[in-house]
Amino acid sequence: MHRFVYERPEALADAVELFARHGAAARPLAGGTDLIIGLRDGSARPAVVVDLKRIAELPPTIEEQGSWLRISATVVMSDLLADARIRHEFPALAEAAAAVGSVQIRNRATVAGNICNASPAADTAPPLLVYGAVVVAVSDAGTRRIPLTDFFVRSGVTTLRSDEFVTAIELPRPSAPLGAVHLRRTRRRGHDLASVTLSCAIDRDGVTRLAYGSVGPRPILVVDESGRLADRGASDTVKEAILDRLFSAASPSPRSMRASPEYRLAMLRVLGRRAVRVALVRLDGGVQDG
Amino acid sequence: MRAEALSQVGLGRVGHSPQRVGGRTRVTGEQRYVGDIHLADELQVKLVTIPAARARIVAIDAAAAQAVPGVRLVFTPADLPQPVPRFGPQFADRPVLAVGETKYHGEPVAAVAAETVEAAEEAVRLVQVHYEELPALVTIGAALDPAAPLVQDPSSRPGDPLAHTNVLREHRYGWGDLDAQAAELVVDHRYRFPMVTHFAIEPHAFLAAPDGSGIVVWSTIQHPYWLQRMLAKLLGLPLAKVRVIAPDPGGGFGGKQHTKYEPLLAFMALRVGRPVRLVLSLEESFQAARRAAAEVQVRTGVCRDGTLVFQEIAADYLIGAYADIADRVVGKGSYIACGPYRLPAVRIVARAILSHTVPSTAFRGFGTPQVIWAVESNIDEVARRLGLDPLELRLKNVARKGEVFIPGDTPADGDWAESLRKAAEAIGWGTPRAPGRGRGIALGIKLGPTTGLSYATVRLLADGSVIVSAGTSDMGQGARTVFAQIAADELGAPLDWVTVVMGDTAVVPYDQQTSASRSTVLMGSAVLRACRDVQAQLRAMAARLYEIDEAAVEVTRGIVRLPQRELPISVVLSEGLGPLGGELIGTGEARKEPVPGHPLGGTAAFYDFNCTAAEVEVDEDTGDVTILRYVSVSDVGTAINPLQVHAQDAGAAIMGLGHTLMEQYIFDEAGRIRNLGAIDYRIPTSMDLPRAFETLLVENGDGPGPYGAKGISEGALLPVAPAIAAAIRDGTGVAIRELPLTPERVWRALRERDAAETASDVQGVPLAEGFPMAARHGKPSRRRQHGQG
Amino acid sequence: MGETIQIVVTVNGRRRALDVEPTATLLDLLRDDLGLTGSKACCLVGECGACTVRLNGRIVDSCLVLAAEVDGGEVMTIEGLAPDGRLTALQERFLDHGAVQCGYCTPGQLMAATDLLARIPHPTVAEVEEGLAGNLCRCGCYVQITEAVLAAAEGER
Repeated sequence: MHRFVYERPEALADAVELFARHGAAARPLAGGTDLIIGLRDGSARPAVVVDLKRIAELPPTIEEQGSWLRISATVVMSDLLADARIRHEFPALAEAAAAVGSVQIRNRATVAGNICNASPAADTAPPLLVYGAVVVAVSDAGTRRIPLTDFFVRSGVTTLRSDEFVTAIELPRPSAPLGAVHLRRTRRRGHDLASVTLSCAIDRDGVTRLAYGSVGPRPILVVDESGRLADRGASDTVKEAILDRLFSAASPSPRSMRASPEYRLAMLRVLGRRAVRVALVRLDGGVQDG
Repeated sequence: MRAEALSQVGLGRVGHSPQRVGGRTRVTGEQRYVGDIHLADELQVKLVTIPAARARIVAIDAAAAQAVPGVRLVFTPADLPQPVPRFGPQFADRPVLAVGETKYHGEPVAAVAAETVEAAEEAVRLVQVHYEELPALVTIGAALDPAAPLVQDPSSRPGDPLAHTNVLREHRYGWGDLDAQAAELVVDHRYRFPMVTHFAIEPHAFLAAPDGSGIVVWSTIQHPYWLQRMLAKLLGLPLAKVRVIAPDPGGGFGGKQHTKYEPLLAFMALRVGRPVRLVLSLEESFQAARRAAAEVQVRTGVCRDGTLVFQEIAADYLIGAYADIADRVVGKGSYIACGPYRLPAVRIVARAILSHTVPSTAFRGFGTPQVIWAVESNIDEVARRLGLDPLELRLKNVARKGEVFIPGDTPADGDWAESLRKAAEAIGWGTPRAPGRGRGIALGIKLGPTTGLSYATVRLLADGSVIVSAGTSDMGQGARTVFAQIAADELGAPLDWVTVVMGDTAVVPYDQQTSASRSTVLMGSAVLRACRDVQAQLRAMAARLYEIDEAAVEVTRGIVRLPQRELPISVVLSEGLGPLGGELIGTGEARKEPVPGHPLGGTAAFYDFNCTAAEVEVDEDTGDVTILRYVSVSDVGTAINPLQVHAQDAGAAIMGLGHTLMEQYIFDEAGRIRNLGAIDYRIPTSMDLPRAFETLLVENGDGPGPYGAKGISEGALLPVAPAIAAAIRDGTGVAIRELPLTPERVWRALRERDAAETASDVQGVPLAEGFPMAARHGKPSRRRQHGQG
Repeated sequence: MGETIQIVVTVNGRRRALDVEPTATLLDLLRDDLGLTGSKACCLVGECGACTVRLNGRIVDSCLVLAAEVDGGEVMTIEGLAPDGRLTALQERFLDHGAVQCGYCTPGQLMAATDLLARIPHPTVAEVEEGLAGNLCRCGCYVQITEAVLAAAEGER
């Protein structure tokens, strides 16, 4: 394993200071399910690893702040799944969290880590995008709130500065009912990295928010404001044309060994159609498996 | 017949399923695998490899690595005897370390021994290997190109007419005159089988330690005696000075049959004079063993009534850079390429084709899954083209018990039609099924061992407890339990009074190998004979004690029967051994003699036969295949331990689902393995099983093993792919002839079908009338798939 | 080597004070420092589950946890399941139902299954399969393992 210095600050200020000092040579450690693999195979070579789990200000909690839920950087997927507010108000996020790895992985992997790792296939990225999540980052310059739409750059790269690290992800609680779902494609039914991910949320006005991943360098959020995608009376031709437009930014890598671009694009369509259908049923209060 | 066979044995253990012998330590974590063993003063070894498949090694600079604190040895080919020793179970073609050129991704060019794993890893990073990458051959087509580079130096193959090609060997079998057969339909297709790996959860591990004038080696090996022989030859030592300790492997599946890095470790241990230890990573295990990929062309000639009249098979197997046992795999696997059918004329040509890939080796099924996939798929096609029921076509042509179906070899040794009918009945063959669903059936057959030699000793101790020594490797198949059951029954001991000693060439008598599902039949027979030897000694003892004729004494089920009374063995033993105590030592031997002139060296000891049927649902939008029901029926003779038989068959089926649905090596253009490791090489999890899963047994007590047992555990893997593919065909109308049947591959086939339908505007594939299952074609109604979206 | 880190960890009820390398994982600590070799190494990327242990009440892949991270924590391994030598019902059912073949994945399976039954005392087949999907078994004992878990849940004797 790559050699590094292990730091375990107990105060946020100490962590801020470590990142200010080491910059890109420091890597935050939350769940470690990606970082430790990288340390072992040499793809991550930080001089300093900063364990965030003992920072007093970052307990693994999901707190209500006005009309927002604040998910601390140390909250793991299992915590999300155990939280009734997440399950009821953000079911697509709960579905995505449930799809991440095995029980063992979900007990370690954090939502913040999933986002910061910036894998195009990150499962929680699409639901966080459709729900309008904001990333909270801190540095010695202060706290920055970055809309998730401005966060991802490409695989492994975000708009975080090298002296910043994420302390929380904040979610606006829906003021009106939403129908939402998260779907994904994998090579087997058991846990697997997704070859396409897609989340969909439809509101009562028929505004459809779709976010998709693993079909390009970063997850993408698109919105149909016209209401026609969610219109039960609209023809398939109309809906297909809308999906065409919404998915036009998808550009899967031809280098991937998990699926060909052609298949990914076709599956993006399939997931899009299915997600709209399921989201509409759920919007009406129906129970529908994703 | 089975009841009669069982009536001969006592205490009801044989035929029942006691808890696995060795099970307790496995559920408590106490079981010691090779990787759990540490020796005093040991050094840790790590392999030096380069990120290339084929490369010319220009120089190896070890200076920086040598300087790492704790490093004791950086071992390069220059440190080995010259020329660098080569080894292999068939050809001595594999060098202990790469000489001049690496021939596959992962071939070690050097190794480091250090006081700690960390120091060894650090040193490995610092060994500078200067190399020049060369084009690598990773496909059959590339390897057969006349302009292709030769994987093996022709000078290493003197007198071999194929030396200037990448064909290591060609195997030809056949009988009858193909041209004289009046076939009314000939179905001719090419089938592809992917390159897959064993993925035992225990990666290979090795230790070697100097031992006086000899050496001791610990290995995860399945064939300790073969390794002993090979090391003795390489090191110039007598067999008695090479001790191989082989603790129960954590899964083998063939990948641990043959010598891998033990010679390297032995040379390093002798060089440093200390024990050395190497535990492979899973990635390194992927680079140590795999199954041969194959392309198989099948021409099947048939009469309109479904009578098969000929089969012609051309099977190309893509083996690795060194032969390992792969040529034998090709020769033995292709030998039975035509399946268990009555055929007047057969022609088989199989080639073992070298490539710049990991040396392929034995893997559950031993070359047979590749050809069964092809032939059974082609048989399904034949039935559909004729409008016949694929089950009926098989029943019509499958060899009847006692019928010779391969001239010069063992006749059919089971009622195979019974297995077919049982599978068909269990899946509801011929009954209506929901729209969008399809059913498939296929069979599989494999030869058991063609030669074999196993010795066992059984010691009946003074208190009536028993020690069995048997050189089989118990890698999960449960041989330890089976032998204990036999000894317990024959000698009247409680099962937990029986100890089975295995895995140490210095302690346990010779066994040829643990492969080809042989151990119950061969070693089981040796154990049984050793028990009978003890019984004979007991008879003599009783005759002496009670002054009666030995012929009047009978020993069965732990009871000594005298003319007037019956005594427990323990009573006779105690009286007979007298005040000094002691024990009775029985020996047993089981041989499967070679047959001179036989193309495989010997006939089949038995056949491993299975019939599998499945019902699937295909998601027309995504290509996802859901296996709704799955039935596997094996002809096992007698199940000595039914629970273990069912578990082996279920395990074989699940392993088969791996290569059927998801497993394959993926290479880059330079021959590097892209999906090296568990993240992108997918194997089935607990969520990837058929919704309903049944294993059934046919028991007619007609095997050559103890109590009529046959070998099992490979048969159930053979028909998985053709059964699933046939079910997909049945449900969707698409025939897919390349594995694995990934969602994307199925989706592509569905889209091609749709495109063809649109283009021609005809109603699907033209099929003959009559058979209702074949009459469904074209696009079925869409169904939403359950489970994940 | 580098600077070691002093940690205190309770393993199978026993408090241990140890010096660990920053690069050491919990799996290394258990196998190499404590000689608890029941937790197995296989994939080292969190896919196979052979190294599954319970850490602070939750199961984890110990190959993906740094030893330094467990300071002050509580770990239970396969060796802690039946400390007095009496097998748990789940261990017995594994043996009864043929859920053990080569046995290499078994410690991880048992740790995951024990955790599953603690969370869901009466699971469905689907819940067992999902709960144990992080534990690969190449012998393919999945059906038997599921049967064993369900039998243990039903209190089968």
